[in-house]
Amino acid sequence: MQGVIHRLRPFFLGGLLLALPLAAVQAKNAKPDPNGLAPHQVQDLAYGDVLFYFFEDDYFDSITRLLAARQLGRLPHTEEEAELLLGGLYLSLGEHVEAGRIFEALLKKNTSEFVRNRAWFYLGKVWYQRGYLDESERALRQVSDKIDPRINAERYMMLAQLMMRQGRYDDAITALSNWKGAPDWTAYAQFNLGVALVRRGRLQEAIGYLDRVGTMQTRSEELLALKDKANLALGFALLQGQRAAEARPILQRVRLEGPYSSKALLGVGWADAGVGEFKRALVPWLELRKRSMLDSAVQESFLTVPYAYVQLSAFGQAAEFYNTAIQSFDNELKQIDDSIEGIRTGKLLDRLLSDDKKDTLTWYWQLSNLPNAPESRYLYALLASNEFQEGLKNYRELNFMSRNLDDWRDDVSAYDDMLDTRQEAYNRRVPKADAVLAATDLDGLTQKRVDFESRINEIEKSNDVAALGTPQEQETWARLKNIEDYLAAHPNDPDLAEMREKHRLMKGVMYWRLSESFKARLWNERRSVKELEAELKETQKRAVLVRQARVGTPLTTGGYASRVAAIRARLDQLHDRLADVSERQNEFLQSLAIRELEGQKQRIETYEVQARYELAAIYDRTSNGPAKAAPKATPNDAPAAQDDAPATPPATPPATPPQAKP
Amino acid sequence: MNLKYRILSIAACAVLLSAGLAVGQTAPPAQGAPASDTPAPPADAQPAPPAPAPDAPPPELKTLDQEVQGLKKDVVDLNKDLFVLQEELLFPANTQVALYISMDVGTFFALDSVTVKIDNKEVKNYLYTAREADALLKGGVQQIYLGNLKVGKHELVAFFTGKGPVERDYKRGATINFDKGVGAKYLELKITDRVPKHQPEFMIKDWE
Repeated sequence: MQGVIHRLRPFFLGGLLLALPLAAVQAKNAKPDPNGLAPHQVQDLAYGDVLFYFFEDDYFDSITRLLAARQLGRLPHTEEEAELLLGGLYLSLGEHVEAGRIFEALLKKNTSEFVRNRAWFYLGKVWYQRGYLDESERALRQVSDKIDPRINAERYMMLAQLMMRQGRYDDAITALSNWKGAPDWTAYAQFNLGVALVRRGRLQEAIGYLDRVGTMQTRSEELLALKDKANLALGFALLQGQRAAEARPILQRVRLEGPYSSKALLGVGWADAGVGEFKRALVPWLELRKRSMLDSAVQESFLTVPYAYVQLSAFGQAAEFYNTAIQSFDNELKQIDDSIEGIRTGKLLDRLLSDDKKDTLTWYWQLSNLPNAPESRYLYALLASNEFQEGLKNYRELNFMSRNLDDWRDDVSAYDDMLDTRQEAYNRRVPKADAVLAATDLDGLTQKRVDFESRINEIEKSNDVAALGTPQEQETWARLKNIEDYLAAHPNDPDLAEMREKHRLMKGVMYWRLSESFKARLWNERRSVKELEAELKETQKRAVLVRQARVGTPLTTGGYASRVAAIRARLDQLHDRLADVSERQNEFLQSLAIRELEGQKQRIETYEVQARYELAAIYDRTSNGPAKAAPKATPNDAPAAQDDAPATPPATPPATPPQAKP
Repeated sequence: MNLKYRILSIAACAVLLSAGLAVGQTAPPAQGAPASDTPAPPADAQPAPPAPAPDAPPPELKTLDQEVQGLKKDVVDLNKDLFVLQEELLFPANTQVALYISMDVGTFFALDSVTVKIDNKEVKNYLYTAREADALLKGGVQQIYLGNLKVGKHELVAFFTGKGPVERDYKRGATINFDKGVGAKYLELKITDRVPKHQPEFMIKDWE
């Protein structure tokens, strides 16, 4: 049995959660790596990001990112895996109702049997742990037998325990009688079956099962503890069935150094007493008296030792031991009262969590060390109980969330500042932007570009080569034009003949030059027009953006401001609720601790009343009839005188029967 | 009822009951007395009566538990909304650029650190813990950087440092030129095994 892991991680949820993404991944790869890690392909970055936090055991960040990714539509390829993981993460936060809702919705779909079985199993396990027994049974019964044998074994065991918790011993007996599994689980099954049979008064049938567990060969610490429990349970059942002689060897099998040795010693003493061997009974009971008073068996030994002396007629010693018992009980009661006072100050949980690493939430968290406080020694059993551990986990998670909200509060304040700054910058820029927009006649510029393009077209069409000449060329061309006009005005002047010839030559040269570069110049002009067009378009786009921003920014900023304001309100409200529920959780666990201590106190008070009564009875007996009184004896010689004395009951108990808790 | 049988019956019932439910219980946080928290049955009970759901939580615990559940769910939802708001506010889609890092198998490379430069400016230098490197190996993908970039062409350079084959110090780089459009840009820095050459391979994938 992987008991240590099972106990440290009561819900081996990782098995479910890890299996899902990797199982999906492995299916795509024909050749897994021999070292165990298969190459895989990231399908959705956001899902990988969620898994990164999940694999780091940071479930709170993981669930936050998963929910955000889902809302932002970033899980198109991993929707189903992500949903299952979400269910598991909710489960890890103790959100079993939400987890159950997700699983049930998901499992209605065409989910593989592997996934379905595991989801139901872990859901059933969480419900069992939280005490939702009907829901747990419903979930566990959904699991088919085609599941890992160890998980199946645990499932059967949980079903049987669940029935026993509900007092359905016959159902549990039926379920366990027909069950077969691995040897370690079989031991648990037989043990539980034995207990259920004892519960139904079928001791004879129970003996075989409990005896088998009590004599099994094992080196596992967990199974050794189970073995002790089986022997203890069987031994006390036999004692209860008036079969003291048979009980003794069974109880003697319990390890002396184990956690059950005190109860076993008590039982061995009762077994001896049951056959009238009071002197022999004193051996384990006197040994018990040396142990810590915290143990209920030790407390009982403070009564059983003098009781044995009374049976041996060693009344002097009995009175002495009763007096010691009364004194010890008084001391213990005072210490319990002090502890109750200590708890009432409200610091119990904070002290328990003082060494806790507070930065992450993980589902398998458990209290690992007890603080060195007076009350701790009385509360071992309570602190180890599911009820308290789950409540403490809740308290720890609420504190974590409270700190988380405090961090967000700082961020949200920064968002406010940021939005204010954005608004300020906007207010400062708007006049400038307005001025630039007002001074820029984009339509006019566009018209100019159109006109320019028309002019280029015209030049090309009319082959006006001079139009694209350099300013100097155009000046020369204009002067030639003036000369030409002058020559045309004097057509018959013979003095102008030479000039006319020169003009013709110069104009021809000029025209040739202009024509030669016309095409290149035309291409350059067209390119300029295109560039101008692109720049104008970009300018128009930017102008549109500026206009949009001018109108939209206040809306966007305002939108964000509204969201921030709404979120701040939620933050405040949740912060108050967290403080309130956390306080109530604290009070509840505190009340459990006080109730536990009150119970212990009541038990010791009962023992004390019993001791006082028995002491009075002894005094009464000695004062009423000296002949009947036993001589004052030492612990060693007293039993010897009464070795054969039958086991007679002590004097009548007090009128108010004590309701003690062992 | 005498003392003997009163004590005995109490002890027997308690032992049986607490033992019977042992499998479902968690281990104590420290060594201590194995006292049962089971209420004792009446002194003269013969045989031990069935205890009605002795380990079931009291009703007030269930009520409080349900309230705590609702509260925790509200906090988780609020965290989600805050996360989305933060991203939209600080890294709007039109300028957002997100860098992720992934490791595929990782037989030939153990990652120590990553340095990322965008347009020759260092934007991230990240040193990995063993836990984080392990999370990458298991299939997690880490968002290593989330920032803003203008629309247009950019260059990203990533340097990976760690232990290469046969435990040797190893440093390699990878570069990508990418266009930042109006939508968010996602880039994945991928470390994979190039099995035939027994070498790691470093690539940058542009997720369109």
